[in-house]
Amino acid sequence: MSADQPLLEVENLTTTFSTDNGTLTAVDGIDFSVDTGETVCIVGESGSGKTVATESITRIINTPPGEIEGTVRYKGRDLLSLPESELRQIRGNDIAHIFQNPQEAMNHCYTVGWQIVEALQIHQDVSDDEARARAVDLMDRVGIANASSRFDDYPHEFSGGQKQRVMIAMALVGDPDLLIADEPTTALDVTVQAQILKLLDDLQEEFEMGILFVTHDLGVVAEIADRIVVMYAGKVMERGGVLDIFDHPGHPYTQQLLECLPEFGGTGGGISGTLPDPYDPPEGCRFAPRCEYAEEACRTGEQPEEVEVAPGQRVSCVHYGPGGNPSIVRNDEFGPIDGDGTAPTDGESEVGPADD
Amino acid sequence: MGFGRYVSARVLWAAVVSLIIVTVTFLLLSAAPNPAVRRAATQAALQGGDPAEAAERVRELRGLDEPLYVRYMDFLRNVYTLDWGWSVSTSMPVTEAVTNALYYTAQYSIPWTILTIILGPLVGVYSAANMYSWKDHAATGFAFFGYAIPNFFFGIILLLIFGVWLEWIPVIYKPEVPVFSVQNAIQLTLPVFVLVTGSIGAVMRVSRNESAEFQNADFMKTAKAKGVSPLRAYAYHVMRPTLVPLSTTLVGQLLALFLGASLLVEVVFGIPGLGRLTYNALIQQDTNLVLGTTLFFTFVAVIGNLIEDLVFTVLDPRISYDDR
Repeated sequence: MSADQPLLEVENLTTTFSTDNGTLTAVDGIDFSVDTGETVCIVGESGSGKTVATESITRIINTPPGEIEGTVRYKGRDLLSLPESELRQIRGNDIAHIFQNPQEAMNHCYTVGWQIVEALQIHQDVSDDEARARAVDLMDRVGIANASSRFDDYPHEFSGGQKQRVMIAMALVGDPDLLIADEPTTALDVTVQAQILKLLDDLQEEFEMGILFVTHDLGVVAEIADRIVVMYAGKVMERGGVLDIFDHPGHPYTQQLLECLPEFGGTGGGISGTLPDPYDPPEGCRFAPRCEYAEEACRTGEQPEEVEVAPGQRVSCVHYGPGGNPSIVRNDEFGPIDGDGTAPTDGESEVGPADD
Repeated sequence: MGFGRYVSARVLWAAVVSLIIVTVTFLLLSAAPNPAVRRAATQAALQGGDPAEAAERVRELRGLDEPLYVRYMDFLRNVYTLDWGWSVSTSMPVTEAVTNALYYTAQYSIPWTILTIILGPLVGVYSAANMYSWKDHAATGFAFFGYAIPNFFFGIILLLIFGVWLEWIPVIYKPEVPVFSVQNAIQLTLPVFVLVTGSIGAVMRVSRNESAEFQNADFMKTAKAKGVSPLRAYAYHVMRPTLVPLSTTLVGQLLALFLGASLLVEVVFGIPGLGRLTYNALIQQDTNLVLGTTLFFTFVAVIGNLIEDLVFTVLDPRISYDDR
């Protein structure tokens, strides 16, 4: 693995489901990458395809009815072309998952210790005693008090936050290089959320993991992300560094998402309208039907090519493309109220190159 | 420990249930006319004696003139010390008659129960794993067929085909064949097959539907993400939670068949087991024997339900036994 090669590289990933009602396109040709030690957040409304995208990486969605196309390169190996048996050795060992609802994500019939040991012994040939010791160590590391006595407790004897800690311990058994966290804090209350995020942050450093973090909570994103990928209806709308996107969101969808957050200077209102029909997505930009800046050009053809509006920040919007006028979308009044006040002018100057 | 106390409480409760059943039986019996007394009176009248006096003598002889509570205590003691009286129709003690018949009933009941317990959940989970495919439809069709067709009728048809037309198996059951012999295995194949098809249907349907829920559960996704193979995931993560609701159906289903269908199957195949013994005792008005076989089935049901309750708590750790 060369130094400049990303840990995970996803190209043109498309996931469809054949159903009785036709073909549902959940993820439609998206690209993104994750580097070692970096946290990438996939952001978007519920139903925008974030979860399906991450579960397509190691093919843990059921195929059929799902069908995954494109390329997923992990340390240079194409995961999607690997046979199931080889992929199984990567799952839980090199690439670990944690999920949204820790209550449902654990089997209620087995002790938490049993479930951690199961993950360990699938990938490593260790004795029961040794596995137990390792599991207790991991439980201790993720902050379960009295880990050795809690080893034999059942999931229902743990609180939500503790269960998520156990799930994290389970994910760490193989010393993974990539952790895929699918809304891991959504089901938890706010104080516990902060603790789990802190724990993930510490563990990322300790285990040198790349983290792919899925969330619809931009407050969480601000907390942990290095880079953001904004998804809408199976497509990427915008991507960039966390500061750039919060400072000067380019895509109208990103702007409206931020607008929903009072703590970032937004009105706290929602985005009017609903996600398009995934069986029959609209032509042109997927967001056009709900976009206040939509013009005729937005409603024809394909999703617009991504255009670089600032270093590392790319937007898929007609107004930034050839012949477009970014000032229609760029709202100078929008910006962090607690920012340094330079964001709007910075934004203006950086939009310039995109016109070329 | 909560579990130890729960077990003792359940065992105690089972004993209370059996006591209630025995008491009700006793009250019904004492309210009904006693055939022995009636017979004595008839005989005395035929021979020119005084029927009332003869009846009184028999009542005295049998202790029926004692007060109700004395007879009740006697009855209880006899039931629980397995002194179940003399069977007129078979000319042996009731316990001996029941034991002899049980010997034949056990020969087909044990394999049938084991096969149902093993095959039912397996076929059900297999069906769920291939839901709506032809494999699922085939298994479901088989289950409904076995469930719907009356056991005795199915038995007669099979006897006709394999016994009479094809002559693969003997039509007449031979009780004298050694238990562990090829001959015995052959003659028990059909009754066991008929009973398994009858009982497996319900078990299979329940395990199919329950496991369908669990195979799409989030913890299956977790298992897959951990690198668990599909076979292991089904064996550990689907089968185990499925067994919890299934254990209820299983015990109920087996008991119902054990009590009801086994009689008809024994009559059809000519097996001198408990079912036929009960049937003959009823026809010949052998009160003691009817009582004996009924009590036996009752105790089996009580113990079956007790086992079910205990299995339940072992299978699902979330079931609390502290406050019951």
